[in-house]
Amino acid sequence: MSAAELTPPEAALWADRAGLPMPAGRHAAVAATANHIHSVVAVLRELDFGDTPPAAAYRAGEEKNDAAV
Amino acid sequence: MQPYELSLAQAADAIRARTLSPVELVDSVLDRIEKVDPYLGAYVTVTAEQARRAACEAEQHVAAGRLHGPLHGIPVGLKDLIDVAGAATTASSRVRADHRAQTDSTVAARLTAAGAVLVGKTHTHEFAYGLTTPQTTNAWDQDRVAGGSSGGSAVAVAAGTATFALGTDTGGSIRVPAALNGVVGLKPTYGLVPRHGVTSLSWSLDHVGPITRTVEDAALVLTALAGHDPRDLASLATSGPPYRPGGATELTGLRIGVPRNYYFDHVAPEVESAVRRAIAELESLGARLVEVEIPMTRYIQATQWGLMVPEATAYHERTLRTVPELYQADVRVLLEAGELMPAGDYLRAQRSRTLMQQAWRRLLEEVDVITAPTVPATAVKAGDETITWPDGTVEGVSDAYVRLSAPANITGVPSLSVPVGHDTAGLPIGMQLLGRPLGEPVLLRVGHAYEQTQPARRLAAV
Repeated sequence: MSAAELTPPEAALWADRAGLPMPAGRHAAVAATANHIHSVVAVLRELDFGDTPPAAAYRAGEEKNDAAV
Repeated sequence: MQPYELSLAQAADAIRARTLSPVELVDSVLDRIEKVDPYLGAYVTVTAEQARRAACEAEQHVAAGRLHGPLHGIPVGLKDLIDVAGAATTASSRVRADHRAQTDSTVAARLTAAGAVLVGKTHTHEFAYGLTTPQTTNAWDQDRVAGGSSGGSAVAVAAGTATFALGTDTGGSIRVPAALNGVVGLKPTYGLVPRHGVTSLSWSLDHVGPITRTVEDAALVLTALAGHDPRDLASLATSGPPYRPGGATELTGLRIGVPRNYYFDHVAPEVESAVRRAIAELESLGARLVEVEIPMTRYIQATQWGLMVPEATAYHERTLRTVPELYQADVRVLLEAGELMPAGDYLRAQRSRTLMQQAWRRLLEEVDVITAPTVPATAVKAGDETITWPDGTVEGVSDAYVRLSAPANITGVPSLSVPVGHDTAGLPIGMQLLGRPLGEPVLLRVGHAYEQTQPARRLAAV
């Protein structure tokens, strides 16, 4: 297990902070899944985004009339 | 040929010519459901009584000379994430046991207005959060997965228990089961088909679209579905042109991109050869093949997950706290783990999506269409969790099934899956055609042209 990985008690604490108290029987499975998800998404940290905005940026007060793609 | 075997376009022609009545067609499909659905499990609910009533009305309209269009009297199955007033939208989940939709979703209302007849609600992987749809079997081999999450819809169309169906697609959930069951699936441009009244998996990735027997059928359904609805904030102002492709198979001048990376990596040899044969067929119709480089492939899965995981968890925030035990184990743990994802990961995924959209826009200036396999392998045996590739790499089935579909969800570009044959085990193979935003007419033209060169496909024997 790398230092960045959550242990089952840490997963329980994080879930608690998110407002999702979990029974003890869930901690290990949730920690394992969260660690796997983390290992997948962490690769995005390699990207230099510069000034790139998130794709969810929106225009207020104006109907979208072109493809959001 | 029995009425349930007809494609949508064939049935529409017969209804218009009054050689087939909507009552005969709907009865034929309902009989087929009764006969084969106990083996397939495609339907959550069959609305036989209402369907027969609607068919009678449709017939009266035909007799009175009031034909609504090509969907008039045509039996449709809706994925059970799509609201129909007065019916439960179960999302194939115990969480929704007591659900009752108050109003029609936009797509259900538009299909009704076009004269289509609802025959039932089809199974989804629970809340669309998975790629197999375990309640349903593959139409071609009942020991194999249907694919998902719109597994019920694809199997129903493949087996003749719906003339067409609707599915939803967040990471391939229309195209994957379409490919695995030998039918056509269209994920339209993001925002082209309104999602109001459709249960979300991930707002920024969700699409609704048709699953049909032919490309022409998909075009007919898209024409009825497309168009602005202010209740879906992502809805585009355009409805697009009429989508029905012309009869010509000439593709001269069209530039077709053939990826040199990503889309043919870790693909089963029989899938690759079937897709390459189909691409050669497009070349023989006059298209020019252009080798293309797919951008940012290292970041596709990370972007897909970085968007989908927290959005899905957010949608289920309340019920995950009140009735977590009602979710299936595979979905519950993903929703719970999503609570632990930092906002920074989500923002990185959204920023990566911006870069990916820009890169794909440049790519789609070089070519008109990109061709690729839809899914890297045919349907796996039910219960198989991994695929082992010849180089020893082991990949989760869901990861493999999403891998080639996800780019179109992240970038919002349209993608059409067309059947291109079967492997030696008799399992269907799909080819994906990707185009520019709102490029559906080109995809439908190419897919239709390809279909014209092939013998008519048969239904799955059940």
